[in-house]
Amino acid sequence: MKLRSRESEKTVILDITGKLMGGADADEFRDIVHKLIEDGKKNIIVNLSGVRWMNSTGMGILITGYTTLRRNKGDLKLLNVSNKIQSILYVTKLNLIFECFDDEEKAVASYR
Amino acid sequence: MNETIIMQFPSSYQWLNMIDLICGEVTSEMGFSHSALNEISISVIEACTNALEHGNKSVEGTLVSVIFHRKQDQMVVEVFDSGEGFDYEDYLQHIPDPSDIHHQRGRGIYIMKAMMDSLIFEKLPDRGMKVTLIKNVDDVE
Repeated sequence: MKLRSRESEKTVILDITGKLMGGADADEFRDIVHKLIEDGKKNIIVNLSGVRWMNSTGMGILITGYTTLRRNKGDLKLLNVSNKIQSILYVTKLNLIFECFDDEEKAVASYR
Repeated sequence: MNETIIMQFPSSYQWLNMIDLICGEVTSEMGFSHSALNEISISVIEACTNALEHGNKSVEGTLVSVIFHRKQDQMVVEVFDSGEGFDYEDYLQHIPDPSDIHHQRGRGIYIMKAMMDSLIFEKLPDRGMKVTLIKNVDDVE
């Protein structure tokens, strides 16, 4: 997994490329979420345009990020979710938890 | 059509992408819908994730074996690990709600059960688990 962080208005966009599937990915993602919370940046969009698929371990990584942010009065939303990842979200009913967007501007606007 | 493809990979996440690619190749032109192809690939990756993570505990030197049986009307995939195995009968009775965000883990088996036509767990006589995943071609949507 490669992770790049950028900001748009009061929102942090995390561009992920590669695979989100466990091991070191979990530590890296947890660390960046904690760092952002420490910096007072709690409106997060995870851009998955560079992630073709993930496994349930990867989904668990996103869930941990989501619950951590929600506990700290923030949120984690998903952008550009592939068909495969969408299938996992639907079958696990996590589509009811994660707000998903296809358009970055709309995702950023949802935090205004 | 009755073809068998056998492969092994070390218990490391980095090889799961290869499984995705091979799975796509093996199941292509069998008559599955696009969503069924996705479901097979997602489920095989879940089985392999469980095998390397929970079965082999990611121990260096251990291997996960995958056998693809490409049949006329179904895809049968067997995934083997060499771990201690687990009480799958008990686990299957208590699969956690996958939408419960208080659980970071435990969604893999739920996903496989939902996406495949058949999911069979077997504890091997000496050591390890075998998981068989079956998807029928006539389930085309």
